[in-house]
Formats: sequence, structure tokens, C-alpha cells
Amino acid sequence: MNKKFIPKITVFHCINAFTENTHSIFVGRNDFEVKFIKLPCSSMVKDIFLLRAFEAGADGVVVLVCPEGQCRYVEGNIRAKKRVAWVKNLLDDIGIDGGRLSLSNIAAGDTAAATQIIDNALKNLAELGQNPAA
Amino acid sequence: MNMNAQSRLQETLSKGEFAVTAECGPPRGANPEVVRKKGELLKGYVDAVNVTDNQTAIVRMSSIAACSHLLQMGLEPVMQMVTRDRNRIALQSDIMGAYSLGIKNILCLSGDHQSFGSQPDALNVFDIDSMNLIRTVQTMRDQGKDMSGFELNGPPRMFIGAAANPFADPFEYRVIRLAKKIDAGADFIQTQCIYNMDRFKEWMKMARDEGLTEKVHILGGVTPLKSAGMAKFMNNKVAGMDVPEPLIKRMAGVPKEKAVEEGINICLETIAELRDIEGVHGVHIMAIEWEEIVGQIVESAGLTPRP
Amino acid sequence: MIVAEQKPLSEIKEIIAPYKKILILGCGTCVKTCFAGGEDEVAVLASALRLACKKDGKKIEIEELTIERQCEDEFIRESAPAVSRSEGVLSLACGAGVQALARRFARTPVLPGVNTTFIGVLEKQGVFTEECSGCGNCRLDIFGGICPVTRCAKKLLNGPCGGSQNGKCEINPETDCAWQLIIDRLKALGQMDNLRKYIPPKNWSTSLSGGPRKLVREDHMI
Repeated sequence: MNKKFIPKITVFHCINAFTENTHSIFVGRNDFEVKFIKLPCSSMVKDIFLLRAFEAGADGVVVLVCPEGQCRYVEGNIRAKKRVAWVKNLLDDIGIDGGRLSLSNIAAGDTAAATQIIDNALKNLAELGQNPAA
Repeated sequence: MNMNAQSRLQETLSKGEFAVTAECGPPRGANPEVVRKKGELLKGYVDAVNVTDNQTAIVRMSSIAACSHLLQMGLEPVMQMVTRDRNRIALQSDIMGAYSLGIKNILCLSGDHQSFGSQPDALNVFDIDSMNLIRTVQTMRDQGKDMSGFELNGPPRMFIGAAANPFADPFEYRVIRLAKKIDAGADFIQTQCIYNMDRFKEWMKMARDEGLTEKVHILGGVTPLKSAGMAKFMNNKVAGMDVPEPLIKRMAGVPKEKAVEEGINICLETIAELRDIEGVHGVHIMAIEWEEIVGQIVESAGLTPRP
Repeated sequence: MIVAEQKPLSEIKEIIAPYKKILILGCGTCVKTCFAGGEDEVAVLASALRLACKKDGKKIEIEELTIERQCEDEFIRESAPAVSRSEGVLSLACGAGVQALARRFARTPVLPGVNTTFIGVLEKQGVFTEECSGCGNCRLDIFGGICPVTRCAKKLLNGPCGGSQNGKCEINPETDCAWQLIIDRLKALGQMDNLRKYIPPKNWSTSLSGGPRKLVREDHMI
């Protein structure tokens, strides 16, 4: 029987960009599984954490950072952006496609944007399929 | 300056005559006919012919061998030698070998970096630099000793040349460097192609003020332009080359079919100006892969017959 | 410090292909500072290799360890138990570290995971530049503290060449012309006379040209 693909997404987010009480906007959706990793600043998202998310079975990883110029720690979101770009290349080298990882800027409380970002990631994963290294 | 007149180029310059040299690039192959053909085109129009040494780091017939072919035709070669490809052992050995074949002029260069050439993976040598090479040839000639101090059985009596680029940076250091090359033993200097006459004159004035023109023969380098595109390319892409905007405009201002003629006109005007500059003792015509034009330029400049 | 760069993942995969159980051994000194082989890089490489092998359906066991210095036997010995558990060691240290490991562990293959590139400095965050060739005969005193042997593409001692333009080297517009730097600095120091002097050919016998070098300090030997 062809079981429907339910993607697993890990969301790394800065607590200033995406507040904990907005996690609930995805409650009730059964088209994906989500895991949230809160960070005091997106600059804390080290490359090894992103890779370990994939090792733990994530099909996709989404990193949510504050809008550029609005990082509480000045350049944390820029550092995150550079690191994500680096890991995307590494995922390509590994052979599991850098497209599984994405970074988006988002303003606190913008739940519509958050939904849009997740929907985009899902659309992308529908094409890429399951993490081949899961 | 060594007064032991050995080469014809040295003789010409010593007599105070305006000398003419040109350039001959050896072929990418073992065919001596290419060298002979170029030699034929230059014969009667120049005092000596520079033979390049794997220029732009592209592998070609050796300078020594190509010089030897020219000698057999009765032309006098200036053997270019770069320190990029040979260590001091090979350099000294080749200088002696070249002299034994009758090659009496040498132009000491560091050489274009191999990254510009066809084999950028090559290891470069640069055991010594061009300054050291000049001094080495001078010591071999005047003291009859190699770099170890060993007395040579037959010293190579080379007429020693060096290059100077008045258009490279830092400008104020360029004359100091010229002085260093003269102190190291350079008898003559061939310059980078001159398009920016103002800067060249300024450099010459600085050289005269330092008394350098009394100690060395300076041959101004010229390269006839073929098109506005070539002028732009040389200005933008060739390091250490300075083609002023008005000159590029002048080349672009004539119809395409007249561009070559205009390039030759500019070249002739440059030569005429060079002859009027105190301390300039000759012209070095670098018509790269365009040797057939040299005769016309020399003739039109009123510098024939040669030698 | 010694600067190194991790090899491409594809090359590392080829190098470790014959082994089913490897130790990735980091070094906590130079290569850690240049982000090539410290603890963090060991973790990332291990994770990347696990993912790559899993994707390719290959079984591999990877152990991770980082020691203080791979060029000193005293520290290397700490890795002995982990080395004895593996079929091969992928060292993320410089070439000296790889060889020091090979000397210590006679029966375990030691494999290079980085390319050792040069002796350099951290010019600014994320940028390392080569500044020393270890020629064994330092003359930075006359060159205003800027090394032409290392930083001039032609190793000119009586430079600059004709390709110096706007302070940049002709072979790479990103690279400063060492001779422009030397001249600027000597001018500022009032030592331009250094450059009027002829600098004789360099004695290369103290460099690698003289064969592998050895330094002996009798006073430190028992």
C-alpha cells in the first residue's frame, strides 16, 4: 500500500522572531509533523545542529530569523544566514539536497507569514520526497 | 659600461648611433623555419633581434636554439633569459652555452608568472631574481667567475640588458629600481611599450637627474596598435601597461580599414619623439606576431639601412 | 599558525571507503583556529559522513575525538584507546600531525582529512593569509616586516616587477603587491635606503631545498 508521505519538519527559530505561543498555529494540521527548537538568537544555530536534525530524521529544516537590521544582537540573523548557506552546500555534497534547508526572515507575531513559509517548505518537500538518509 | 666591444648592438650604441631592435617569438614547436621566416622579415632593418624566453609562460622553442638559428642567418640575437624556469645552476650553464654558440647579448628578466601561461600547474623556480641575474652575468664577464667564485675557462662576454617599466607602480620607485639594475651591471635597458609619452618623459627626466642616462643605453619600447580594441585590451588587461584615453579615442576615431595605418602613424610619431629625448639611445619594436610590419616602420622612420 | 582546509567531502568519502570503522581525530591547536579540524569540525564531518553513508546504503561506524595537539606524542598517546578500536584514523590535523600519528600507530592506517595550505595569520574574521614560508633565513628586518619570499608571487628580493599596478599583484587583483607594501612601510619608517641596496641571491640551503630540516636543542635533551 502506498502510504502518504507526511514530511517531518524541524523549525529552528529565534524567540524574538517567532514566539512560543504562536507554535499553536500549526496545531490540528495533519499534513506534516513539526518539531520546534527555540533559540535565544538565530546566530546560535550551529551547523552541527542543522545536520543532527537531518540525522534525527527530519525531511526538511526551516530556520526563522528576525528581519535584517532588526536583530537584537545586531548581526545574529546575518550569521545564521551565512551558516545556513554553508550547510545547504554541505547537504548538496552529502547528496540529500540543500533545498531541504531554508531560512526566512519573519517579524514577531506575523502568523500569516509563518504559515506561508511552512507551506512553501511543504511544497518543496513534496517534490524532494523523504530524506534519503533518514 | 664594458668597453670591450663585442656585439654589434654594443658597437652601435657605443658610437652614439640610434639603435633599432625588434622582437622574435620562437614557435610552439620544433620547426626552425618559423624562426628563419621571422628573421628574413627583420634582416636589414634592425641592429639586433630579441628572442623571447617562453614569453607569457607558454612553452616554446628555447631562446638559445632560436638565437642560434638567427645567428646562422647573419642576424644578431639578444637572448632573453627569465629566472622563472631555471635555477642558478641552469642559468649560468646556459649563459656559457649561449656565448659558446656566438650569442653576445642577453636580456635579464624575471619572467611572466606561470599562472598566465598554458601550464599554470607548473612549479616556478625564481631561485634568483632579474637583479641577481644581471649581477651574475656581469661577474661572469668582468671577473671571469661563476657565482661560487670559480674561475671560468673562457668567460662569457655578454652585453647585458635589462627591462624597465616606467608605467608600473609605485612610480617613484621605478627610477630607484633602474639605478639598481645599472649598479648590478646592466649596459642597456629596453622599456615596456610606450603609449603614455608624458609619463615616459617624466621618468626619463628623473633618470637624467640621477645621472643614469650617462651610465646606460635606454631603448624605448614601442608596439604598433592594430585596432581600438587592442588599445583597450592592453590598457585594461595587460598589467603594467598604460594606454591613455586620447590614444584609444584616436584609434576608435578612424574607420576600421584605416586602423592599422593609424596605429603605424602613432608608432612613427612615438619613435620621432623618442629620438628627441635626451638619454634615449634607441627603439625596441615589439610587433608581436606581426614581424612583417617592422621593416615598414623602420623605413618610414628613416632609420634604414641597418645594421 | 598553520592554516589548513578540509578536503571536499567526495574526496574524504573515497579515502575512507575501505574502512567500516573509523576514528575522526581533530587537533585543538592551529587547525581549530582556522576552522578545519577542531572539535566542531570533527562533529560536522562525522555527521555529514553518517548522512552520506546512510543515503548510499553503506554501513560505517564513526568515533569522534579531538586532542590538544597532534604534533606531540604526549598528546597523541591520549588517543591510543580510540585508535585501537578503529580500522583507520581520519586525521584533521596538518600534515605534521598526520605523520606524527603514523609514527605512533604502526598498524593503523592514518588518513589525511585536510589539505595543509600555509603558515599564515588571521587577517580578519574568516580570512587567512599566507605570510611565512619557513625559509630558515629570515630577513624581515630589511623588508620592513613584510616578506617578499612568501608574499611576492615571484619571490623577488629586488622587486617590484613590472606587473605591480595600483598596489595589486598582476597575478591576482585581490592580492596586495608585497613590494608596494614594503615600499609604503619603509617610507613610513624612513628606511627607503634599504631598497637602494642590492640584495644578493638568497641562500636556500636553510629552506626545504636543503632537504628535510631538523632542529636540535641539546639543552632540552636528556
